[in-house]
Amino acid sequence: MSTKPEPLKPLRTWSHLAGRRRRPSEYEIVSTNLMYDAKNAESPFELGPNIPLSKWFKKYRHGSPLTGRDWEEFRDPAELTYRAYNILQDGQETYIEGLFDQHNELRYDAGLDTAWVDVLPRLYTPARYAFHTVQMASHYLVQIVPSSTIRNCATYQAADALRCVSHIAYRTAEVKKTYPDSGCGTAECAAWENDAAWQGFRALMEKVLIAYDWGESFVALNLVAKPAMDEALLRQLAATGRRQGDSLLGLIADTEYRDVQRSRTWSAALVRFAIERPENLAVVRGWIEKWLPVAEQAIDAYCRALPDSPEATTTATQAVHDFLRSLDLN
Amino acid sequence: MALLDRAEWYDIARDTNWTPKYVTEDALFPEEQSGTLGLPLEVWESYDEPYKVTYREYVRTQREKDAGVYSVKAALQRANFLDQAEPGWVSILKLHYGAFATLEAMASSAESRMARFGKAGGLRNMATFGSLDENRHGQIQLYFPHEHVHRSRQFDWATKSMHTNEWAVVAARHLFDDIMAGRDAVGVALMLTFAFETGFSNLQFLGLAADAAQAGDISFSNLASSIQTDEARHAQIGGPAVKILIANGKKAEAQRLVDIAIWRAWTLFATVTGPSMDYYTPLDRREKSFKEFMQEWVFGQFERTLLDIGLERPWYWDTMLADLDTRHHGMHAGIWTFHKSVWWDVPPGISRAERAWLEEKYPGWEETWGAHFWDPIIARFLKDGPVDTVLPSMVQLCNMAQVPITGTPGWAPGKTGRPLQDFPLEHEGRLYHFGSEVDRWIFQQDPDRYKDHLSVADRMVAGMIQPPTLEGLLDYFSLKEGEQGEDALKHSWLEEYRQDQAQAA
Repeated sequence: MSTKPEPLKPLRTWSHLAGRRRRPSEYEIVSTNLMYDAKNAESPFELGPNIPLSKWFKKYRHGSPLTGRDWEEFRDPAELTYRAYNILQDGQETYIEGLFDQHNELRYDAGLDTAWVDVLPRLYTPARYAFHTVQMASHYLVQIVPSSTIRNCATYQAADALRCVSHIAYRTAEVKKTYPDSGCGTAECAAWENDAAWQGFRALMEKVLIAYDWGESFVALNLVAKPAMDEALLRQLAATGRRQGDSLLGLIADTEYRDVQRSRTWSAALVRFAIERPENLAVVRGWIEKWLPVAEQAIDAYCRALPDSPEATTTATQAVHDFLRSLDLN
Repeated sequence: MALLDRAEWYDIARDTNWTPKYVTEDALFPEEQSGTLGLPLEVWESYDEPYKVTYREYVRTQREKDAGVYSVKAALQRANFLDQAEPGWVSILKLHYGAFATLEAMASSAESRMARFGKAGGLRNMATFGSLDENRHGQIQLYFPHEHVHRSRQFDWATKSMHTNEWAVVAARHLFDDIMAGRDAVGVALMLTFAFETGFSNLQFLGLAADAAQAGDISFSNLASSIQTDEARHAQIGGPAVKILIANGKKAEAQRLVDIAIWRAWTLFATVTGPSMDYYTPLDRREKSFKEFMQEWVFGQFERTLLDIGLERPWYWDTMLADLDTRHHGMHAGIWTFHKSVWWDVPPGISRAERAWLEEKYPGWEETWGAHFWDPIIARFLKDGPVDTVLPSMVQLCNMAQVPITGTPGWAPGKTGRPLQDFPLEHEGRLYHFGSEVDRWIFQQDPDRYKDHLSVADRMVAGMIQPPTLEGLLDYFSLKEGEQGEDALKHSWLEEYRQDQAQAA
């Protein structure tokens, strides 16, 4: 005798969260279990297994050696949601706006040392290209990572990079008003493409941008290349600026560094989550060993060009090593 | 204030193209991800987005928008609007959230494809905001329905749907994977942002927002119109890309992508939005008919946009115009008949007063849909009592739209609508079925893209759905009792006809 199954009863939350013995947070309600294309390894899209992007995703997402975890179980330690992100960043941008406003009123740029003004179009304003590559690489993560919770983190990281690009563009235009012949606003592309100081980061980021395996892309960008760039540009350039009388540069960088810390926190959490499968440890370490020397060269090429900053290379490199050590990969 | 105007620095922030040296341009922008049809980086330098916004402006505006929408929701939450809402409106909400929330989250990935693989700095920046927007739309459209999960298991489909093989979900996924998740960056720009979002998404969001306001659902009305303000911004990513393609000898390719996307969007909207507007929305709350919304926004505004930008009307424009009288009526009839196969309760929407409205909006409705589809069902129900009608066997599904092939019942030459007709095609030894010549034409544009897909009907025939029974099919759809749709009025609508019958006797 067969009995008719009981109709499903309404729950107090989404069915995929209902088994947990606690109320879900807003973050969990709006962020989890959303990536339907990550479930079907053979045919990620409804169009069949052989369209060009199906092959791409099968190779670079499902075929990644970083594997064996239910990635939807990953959680952003900050539990950042879209609306919280805008509240957070609107606050930071209000602060930045205040900085720009006050410094402009005080005719800050007119007081800059002229030797330092020569440095800006060589070592500061071209950084918009560098941060834009981080913006692009973060967007690659958005589409290729295997869960919606990782995707969210990458989405905000990409936007953070545009935030840096925007600050640099603003300052480029502003410095140019006081120093029209400085090269600010005109010399950046040539510096990015030709100046020896930038070729390390340019080479690093061009190569990171084509590291298409999702795991390698994450490790290369978030654990190595981005930390290297952040230490060189947001820490060492800012420190040099302070010594050269450009305190505004450091104040801007300090707020951007808060975004960096958020990126490192979720990146470290994702590494911890990944290496709960022991086989992933060697995979992550292998990629770090591959990318770290390239990043160290980039730090050195850039930091050596910073005026009067003999410790910059060592300090930045040490900071990257400290971050990697904090991941406890040994 | 001593701040620079946006115009003084905006261009610098989007001047970010460089010449790659350590890798090739083709490696950095591979065709399967970029889709630039061989147009190199320098060609894209002229890309100029019409809607300009900065990061600072974005986070401020979006914070304010969210503060408004979330606070209205919080204020109205205790009013428990949904407990008194008319059944048709509740159905619209279940349908809407289940169909769109997860897909919108997915759209953030497609925006990110443009932000990574687009070849113009301005495009990449706008798509960065677009990616954030879609992140918002996914989240906010999960936050709102979560409040209702205790009311019905059907609201669970806001997160569950896209993980299933329910037939309408397969149709939606097939469409959106074709125009966004499975498309290259230029394809996404043209098909998702230009064609779909410029042409159609206002139909869903502004149309529904208008109906929601009429229905008294202030919370949803606010939500939908707030979402549309984002859509209206990032929908403008595609236009400048179209112009670049046209200026560089790629008009035919651009036209083809846009034509495919418009028709595909039409077939989806006729499946979900048409029935919502013309059958589910309570009669006295209907702002306009689906056909009127389509005529105003797609055949009016969007047609002008197409021509202004330098494209032509799609070759099938007259076919689509004629389809306004048929397709969504057929979809509604099919969905109501097989309401167990969807995650919302389906109102029939055919009271005497509603039929008078339908006849007014769609002259000829009575002598076709009324006389040949609904009246026989009503007669049978009055005679034998209502039953949970289900389709006797799997209907023929279109191998492009993934929805039933429809026609106008009782159609004859001279009447509105069109006959039921299959548009078959044999390709590499397999016979495909299409619901229109346009669906077949789309397949022929790129057979390799579509040929391996099996419709739900094909899967049934191939033995992939076991057991091959109604129960097996519903199980394949992941629809359990408690989730399966019912007649939203529990057949109470029959009473009016019963009284008519008694009076006539």
